[in-house]
Order: sequence, then structure tokens, then C-alpha cells
Amino acid sequence: MNLTIDWDKFINLFLYNPRDPILFGSSYFLFFFLTVLAALYLFRNNHRLKVYSIIFFSVFFYYKAAGWFVFLLLGVAIVNFIFGRIIHEALKTRSKNFLLIVAIILNLASLVYFKYSNFFIQIVNDISSSSITPLNIVLPIGISFFTFRALSYVIEIYYEFITPMKRFEEFLMFIFFFPTVLMGPIDRASTFLPQIENGFKFKKETLGIAVFLLSTGLIKKFVVADYINLNFTSRVFEFPNRFTGTENLLAVYSNALQSYCDFSGYTDMALGIGLLLGFQLTENFRRPFKANSVADYWRRWHLSLSNWLLDFVFKPINVRFRRLRKTGLFIAITVTFFCVGLWHGPNWTFVLFGLLHSFYLIVSMLTQSSRDKIYKKMGIKKNRLFRFVQIVFTFHLLIFTALLFKANSVGDAYKILNQIFTFFKPEVFPQFIEAYPTIFGLILFGYIIHFLPDSWEVKTKELMSKQSTLTLSLILTIVIWLVVQVKSAGMQPFIYFKF
Amino acid sequence: MISDKLKNIILKELNLEDFDFTEEMTANQVPGWDSLNHMNIIMSVENEFNFKFKALEILKIRNIGDLQKVIDVKLSEN
Repeated sequence: MNLTIDWDKFINLFLYNPRDPILFGSSYFLFFFLTVLAALYLFRNNHRLKVYSIIFFSVFFYYKAAGWFVFLLLGVAIVNFIFGRIIHEALKTRSKNFLLIVAIILNLASLVYFKYSNFFIQIVNDISSSSITPLNIVLPIGISFFTFRALSYVIEIYYEFITPMKRFEEFLMFIFFFPTVLMGPIDRASTFLPQIENGFKFKKETLGIAVFLLSTGLIKKFVVADYINLNFTSRVFEFPNRFTGTENLLAVYSNALQSYCDFSGYTDMALGIGLLLGFQLTENFRRPFKANSVADYWRRWHLSLSNWLLDFVFKPINVRFRRLRKTGLFIAITVTFFCVGLWHGPNWTFVLFGLLHSFYLIVSMLTQSSRDKIYKKMGIKKNRLFRFVQIVFTFHLLIFTALLFKANSVGDAYKILNQIFTFFKPEVFPQFIEAYPTIFGLILFGYIIHFLPDSWEVKTKELMSKQSTLTLSLILTIVIWLVVQVKSAGMQPFIYFKF
Repeated sequence: MISDKLKNIILKELNLEDFDFTEEMTANQVPGWDSLNHMNIIMSVENEFNFKFKALEILKIRNIGDLQKVIDVKLSEN
């Protein structure tokens, strides 16, 4: 047998390739992660070497996805480390204020340059009929996530919630940490840094939860999200006019489920990987479609972002305008949700998405007291059926707004709505089930699992925690086997990578 | 310890008859303590105790114990 090694191919495995980052769930990641675990085991008694190992592997992980932008990330770490220290050491409140503002401007300047320059050029071109050529800018992957993580460090030092890190390498590890650098969760410095300082160690009793999270993450991403996206949602969203309203409506349902499974699947895997490395990462989802109001939804969806914006954008504005009472609150809500929209990307669809959510919240607050009185009079406030109606109503409001997330333009989202309302053709529904039983089954399966009682998840986690390492390994192997069976030929990038 | 005066302000603003507040308790553990009521409580404290908070003092409050502490500091300054 003639065994030759293709060295070019081998070397390419270690080089930056924008189309081939190390995706959670890939065989490359499995190999990479086992190497990380081996290094941590080898250095288990040396805290500093453990930190250096994670930095080394994280830098490689980010380099594979973003190339020489590793130096941008290094710059972010240096700038925020220095500002954290000088904000802490500044004696006067005025100096602290000034330094914080400079730190925020520096962080946001890089975010705005890379992410929004061409959006602003487009706006200028549109309103002034000038023709400025768009800049050739490559977006550093994960920039919205790591900028917010880094900012939380300087802001929390300013608020005196934490003191500056003594060791730069530990701060570097926080910024580069590979499980969260590309897509969050946006851990706060105040929750993550103490875990590094306390020597992060894998706890055997968390193995069951870690395997549970890895399994749910893999199934959500590869069995549900990727399959229904490739085989159904994307096709309808690309050419909505080629499909009937029934199919467009089903695509609206599948799009919402797919977005949730894609992002929460990633988060589950990140949380599971974090546990195996000895870290408790920030929770990001609490079954968002069970929300009975839009406000409730934001306490369940992408929590690490919504809590960040709540603490560092909403509250300061609300405090500043507190004497305006409700008007002040509405200003704070509108600005915060404008940021939520824009954070997701330089596109009017996202801006509109944010503003619609602020509109829902303001209307809900304005009508709350009169609604409460009516509910009380009717005696339905604590009625379970009424709560169910609220959940169904909120769910539909959310999934139709989520159209703006997937559609390329506001016009495309309108086309989908137009098909639903003018060309519904309900007779297509049985034909759809017959033609695409797997897709329909997966959508149904995804939603049924989502709406199961929360206590079932708690009990499953408890059960998993009691299993032996052998049983857990077997469970994970079965899940991986299942994923390999249904996985699409090419792995689909995670939706939130583009943010 | 949470003073009776602060406790009464919170109860009045949240329309509660009684509630067992602890120092570690955060807003989301108290029924009705949302963003609007938070600001109402802050302004009611300012009126009742006759001082004005600085924005940063309000933003640093993480639980009821912090709120009581900042009130005590403000009162000792006056």
C-alpha cells in the first residue's frame, strides 16, 4: 500500500480559511477539543500553564476563523486592560467619566468601522444622490460579541462591581476564550473573571449536564435547524412567489424554530464545552416561545445580550430621564431596541425589527392598567386558558416579526406576507405533509419539545447527572451517530456568525 | 437592615400590603418591581428623604441592601 501524505492539505488544516472555521460539531472540532482537554489534564496542577494553554488554543481557534484579525482582538484586550486599570486608579469622578467615555468610543469605533461603514455610505448615497464607492471591508467574525464582552469589563470597573485583573494573561483568556469568542454568550467580566482567578477545574458532577447540553445542542443545530433550513425554509424565503400562502406560512413557523434551534443549539454546545473546561457560562435562552408577552420574551431570548443592553444602555437612559416618568421610559426603550436591531447588522430589516419590538413594548405598557382592569372584571387574569391565548398571540407576533431576520429586505418580507394573505390555498397543506413528511415531522417535533413543561428538562438533567461516565459516553456517541446520519453534506454556518 | 421608612415607600409604590424584604433581594424577586416602578421608587425616596441621587449612585444599586446603604450615606452627608 502506498501511503503518501499530502503536505499541502495537512498544512492547510492549520491555516486561516474564511470558509472553514472550526465549527462546533465538526470532526475537526472534536479533535481540537480533545487536544485542549489533554493539555489541561497535563497541566492540571499548574494554573498559569492551564491559562496559557487555553490562550494558545483560543488564538489558534480565532485565527482559523478570522485570520490576522487576531491582532485586532489582541488590541481590544490591551486597550481594555489598560483602561480598566486607569479608570480604577482615577481619583476624581470626572476623570473616571472621561476615561470611560474614551474607552467606549475606542471600542465602538472599531465596531462601527468594520460593521457599519458601508451602511452609512449607503445612507449618504441614498439621501444625497452622491456615489461614494463602498469600502472593501472584511468583517472580523464575532466582533459584536467580543466588543460587548470587553466593554463589560471597563464598565463594571467603573461601576465598582469588580476590580481590575492583576494578570494580563488572565484577561486575555477572557477576551479570546474559544467557546464564546465567535457567538457568545456575552459573559460579564464580573461572572467570568472570578472563575479564572479561582482556578477553573472540571467538576465530575457536571459531566451529566455537559453531555445533556452537548446532545441538545447537536440535535437542535444539525437535526432540526440545518435540515429544515436547507430543505425548506431557505427555498421559500428565496422565491416566496413560487410558493402558495400555506407553504409561506409554514416557512414562517419553520424559520422561527430554525433561528431558535440554530442559536440556542450553538449556545447549548458552548455551555457544555464550558462545563468540561470548568466554567459556568451565562445562560442565554429560557424557552422563548413560551413567553406570554413581548417583555417576557426578552427575558427568555438571547439573555446575555438583552441583559447587557438593559444594564448598560436602558438603565442609564432611564435614570437620566426619570423625571419624565413614562416618556423617559419610552425614550429608553426606543433607544435600547434601536441598538438591539442595529447590533444584529447594518440592514434596515434589523432596524425595523428593533423598532417594532420597542413599539410592542410601549403599546403594552400604555394599555397595561386598562387591560388589567378588564381582565380582573372578567376574572381571567389567572386563568390558564387565557394564559394560553396570550402565549399563542405573542408567539405569532414574534414569528411574523422574525421574518425580518431572515428576509434579505423589507420588500422580501412583504412578499411572504402578501402570499399568505392573498394566495393561501389551504388545500396544499395535506399535499405538503405527504410530500415532505420529514420536514413537517421535524417542525412538529421541534415545537413539541420546546413547549414541554420546564420541569421535564429539570428532571432529565437530574437523571443525566446520576449516570455513570460509561452511560454518558454511550449517550453522546449515539447522539453523534444520529447527527452524522442526518447531517447535510456541507455543514451550515451558524446564523449568528454574521453578527 | 432595611428601614421601615424605605420598606413603606416600596410597599406604597408597588401597591403591596406587606412583603418580607431582605438585603440581598433584587428587583425581579419582588412582584411588580419593573423598570417604571423602579424609577418611581427612586423618586419617591428622593422626595421622602429630601435629597437627590446622582445617576451613578442609582446605577450602582444591585439589590435592596445597596439601596438602603446609599440612602444611609446620603443622609450622613446632609
